Amino acid sequence: MNLEPSLPIPISYIAGNYFVFSIDAVTYLRREHHICGVLMGTLPQCPQQNVFLGLPLELMPEEARLLVEKGVACIVDEIKAQKHGMKALMAEDRKKYLHELESQGLQAMRLQHSRKEQQKEMALKKIEDKKLAKAKKMAEKQATAETQVSAEETQADPMIDLFADSQPSSSTPAQLASRPASIASSSANVTMGVTPATAHPPLPLKPADDQLLPLPEVPSSYPLFSHLHAEGYFLSPGLRFGCQYVAYPGDPLRFHSHFVVVSYEWDEEMDLMDLISGGRLGTGVKKGFLVGGAEKKHKDIGEQKDTVRTFSLEWAGM
Amino acid sequence: MADTDEAAIHLPRDSAPMDTDLSDETQDFRMLNNISFLTDGSQLTLPKRGEKDFEPNPTLYQADILSASRQAMHNALSYPRLHHPRNQIVGVYAPDGPAPPPSAAGEDTQLKSGAGVGIHPDSCVYVPIPRGQFFKTMGQADRWNRTWLLPEEALYLLERGSLDIRWPRSMTGSDEEEEGSEGSIEDSGIPMSLQAAYACFIGRGGLAVERFTVYSGLKRLGYTLIRAPGWTDEEEAEAEEEAPEGLISRGPGLAGILGQFLQWFQSPITTAAGPVAGVGIHRSYNDIYRKLAIIPWHNPVADPSPPSRTHAPYCVVFHVYKPSTPFRKTSPPAPDFRIAVVNARTNTTIPTMSQIGSLLDSTPFDPPKGEKMERMLYLRLRQGYRSIILAVVDQGVVSYLRVADAGFGKEKLYAAKAQAGNKRSGFTRPKPKG
Amino acid sequence: MESTVPTHPEPSALTALISNTSAPSNPYSATTLQILHNLEHQHLWTSLQVHNLEVPSADSESPSLSHFLISGIPPHRVYTHPDEQLYMLEKGLRDEDVDLERMFVLPTAQGQSWSLRRMAAVFDSLADPAEEFCSLSSSAGNDAEDRGTKANSEKAAKLAEYYERRTKAFRTREWGGKRILLAMVDKGMGGDGTVVYYIVQEGAVKPRQN
Repeated sequence: MNLEPSLPIPISYIAGNYFVFSIDAVTYLRREHHICGVLMGTLPQCPQQNVFLGLPLELMPEEARLLVEKGVACIVDEIKAQKHGMKALMAEDRKKYLHELESQGLQAMRLQHSRKEQQKEMALKKIEDKKLAKAKKMAEKQATAETQVSAEETQADPMIDLFADSQPSSSTPAQLASRPASIASSSANVTMGVTPATAHPPLPLKPADDQLLPLPEVPSSYPLFSHLHAEGYFLSPGLRFGCQYVAYPGDPLRFHSHFVVVSYEWDEEMDLMDLISGGRLGTGVKKGFLVGGAEKKHKDIGEQKDTVRTFSLEWAGM
Repeated sequence: MADTDEAAIHLPRDSAPMDTDLSDETQDFRMLNNISFLTDGSQLTLPKRGEKDFEPNPTLYQADILSASRQAMHNALSYPRLHHPRNQIVGVYAPDGPAPPPSAAGEDTQLKSGAGVGIHPDSCVYVPIPRGQFFKTMGQADRWNRTWLLPEEALYLLERGSLDIRWPRSMTGSDEEEEGSEGSIEDSGIPMSLQAAYACFIGRGGLAVERFTVYSGLKRLGYTLIRAPGWTDEEEAEAEEEAPEGLISRGPGLAGILGQFLQWFQSPITTAAGPVAGVGIHRSYNDIYRKLAIIPWHNPVADPSPPSRTHAPYCVVFHVYKPSTPFRKTSPPAPDFRIAVVNARTNTTIPTMSQIGSLLDSTPFDPPKGEKMERMLYLRLRQGYRSIILAVVDQGVVSYLRVADAGFGKEKLYAAKAQAGNKRSGFTRPKPKG
Repeated sequence: MESTVPTHPEPSALTALISNTSAPSNPYSATTLQILHNLEHQHLWTSLQVHNLEVPSADSESPSLSHFLISGIPPHRVYTHPDEQLYMLEKGLRDEDVDLERMFVLPTAQGQSWSLRRMAAVFDSLADPAEEFCSLSSSAGNDAEDRGTKANSEKAAKLAEYYERRTKAFRTREWGGKRILLAMVDKGMGGDGTVVYYIVQEGAVKPRQN
């Protein structure tokens, strides 16, 4: 997991949005650069829920820009890259790629097969156990045995297995036991189809120069965004919380957010009522309301680097 | 939506709130491990939320948990999309839209452009051998028994690992030995990656990413979604010509209420000529209240106005059906919900009264019905006479808002009979919030 | 009903105060007085003072507006930084053990136009809390010692330690930087004169958890 992907990481620009498709890049950006983005894809192993989502990772333009400015990433015109890349694919690369996928698919099938065998054994054993337990229960008239067994059953395997059966619904012990073993063993030599997450391979990792795009355009809140990011905050889109950004003191995986953030331009009119309602909103959920923006200095001070001023609001309790 | 997380702290431990939306905040991926993938979908129980900390501290313990959470996330996101040959569904990308199979090319030249009757022109993936549950609610069959998928359908199925999309031969390199691959949408055998699928399908045929976010989010919850007529908003140029007519000429719909207000200000009803209730003897409070009601109100039951044109993004783009609603894709029933999708980054202000008005006017009249609605005033007001769901998308994060045309003016509180024992009124008061 | 001619009610104490003292040229003075009044009588602040400061207007070219700040001593502590609270808890100190300090209040009214520039200017006009506290804490320290001889010297030592820590924390901004109390009075159409108070601090200061 602590892989260091080769830099710059290509960020795919598709129809006005910024995406990352490589899991190594996603983990790396989160760990090393505090950039979390928003996961928007369906997890194939658990596709009917919205609590945990998967690739791709959608980045805010602010995040994409910050990464490019840091030299960590570059913006790729993904539509162009795909079109040209696939067109330019040599017959040899194609064969190599297909071969690679085939061996992956074969390995996946074997893993799944051996896993199924294991499961079957376990399931059969459980049925035996259950029978025994039932007999025991009948004999001893105790109600506890059964509940124990079923509890064990539900937490069958706490670890995610990468090559677990992606088709759900086929593993109640009874079904497994009754399925003829011959089908399972014969299918062990068939290849699984694979849909890769990223386009590399077969496309080259490094995009061609004519597929690179300039710095992402960002809203006027960017100075505040990059300022808070530089202070170590993890930032997420904030509309859901009634603000522009939500700022976390650490990885949102493990920490509650500290601030609801709204950016203002230096001379932009601030409605005091917005400050009060923001403060009230934040205090209600034990967060601070943070406003800020880039300071405009008088010209005679010279070409100073833009400084960002921030203010935190909380209800005073009086 | 407030951060339910912190709000929950105030509640007693044993009564965990039922309405906590776990998808509201980033969840600890270690909890995903608790989901048993091997049970079927209906039994799937959501994991409990992980305990989060207030702030980082330099303890090794905290660092270890964080590292474990990230590892779990990494593992979960590395899960491959595999297709067992037994239930593999293959689709082929058709970059130029619906087209007949090469075998039929000489058969009928007229068909060549349209791939057959009734295939949606935005369709861009065909499934030669469609099978499985998904095609009950998705795709359109052509006369060669191939099923054509819209970009959102194709991308959703690929993303969940249920469809193996292949590049067409026309797009994958040039082989000298393969002649006539020009424009061929035959299967090249090369599977399309998730990355390529996003590049091919997002932005195609009006599928902005916020629309796809809403589509896949609701599909994951089991809803059926189809495109609504408002999906394409091509009349924009026409609409602009109409604009100078001004607000007053709008119909009697909600959009016209502004005009009514303007008229009211100019109308002769003023207190200058005497009391509004009129001079004389009043024998009933109701009569007085009726006379006092000088402010015009929008009557949602009034004759349907010719719906004023809706404009993107305030137009219905999805018709949504609950999982329990019987659905036939050839003749879809009336939708359970209508959804407009708004990108919060490009639309930073609250929609105007006239935008919301025309949006509501574009939905069918659906008054509150049933005994419960008749009895409960607030339920009735909440239900409204027309309604729409706004899906506001901020960079992949969706907030759903229901907007209803509530008939406040129709509810004559003075006419409501006071219930015995309740001096205030005959309706139940909502519990105070906040 | 005896009389048909409505008589004006006696002006309230607040109205009287405003009409007697307000300088008509400054639109902020009535608000300031109203909040001053509220602090004094509703919240029982003492040693209240009004300070005048120059705040630039939104347009940097036009002349600056004058503005008022109120300062005073609240009857009990209004704000304690979460880390400071933790420190006090560890030392076994309560809010009441610590000397009350003067707080600055920014009087505003609903509908006034503000901007980051003006907010920053108000903060810039405040003395650096580290310096201010240094001078304050020396006397406060003595104070604590005085009490220490009378009661228990252990607590006095802890207090002294606390003041020292606090001086350092102000310098490093660990326990927050400059802070003011933003007071907004609900005025204008439908306004009922309610005053709300919010703590505003410079920088990202983590929220209190209680």
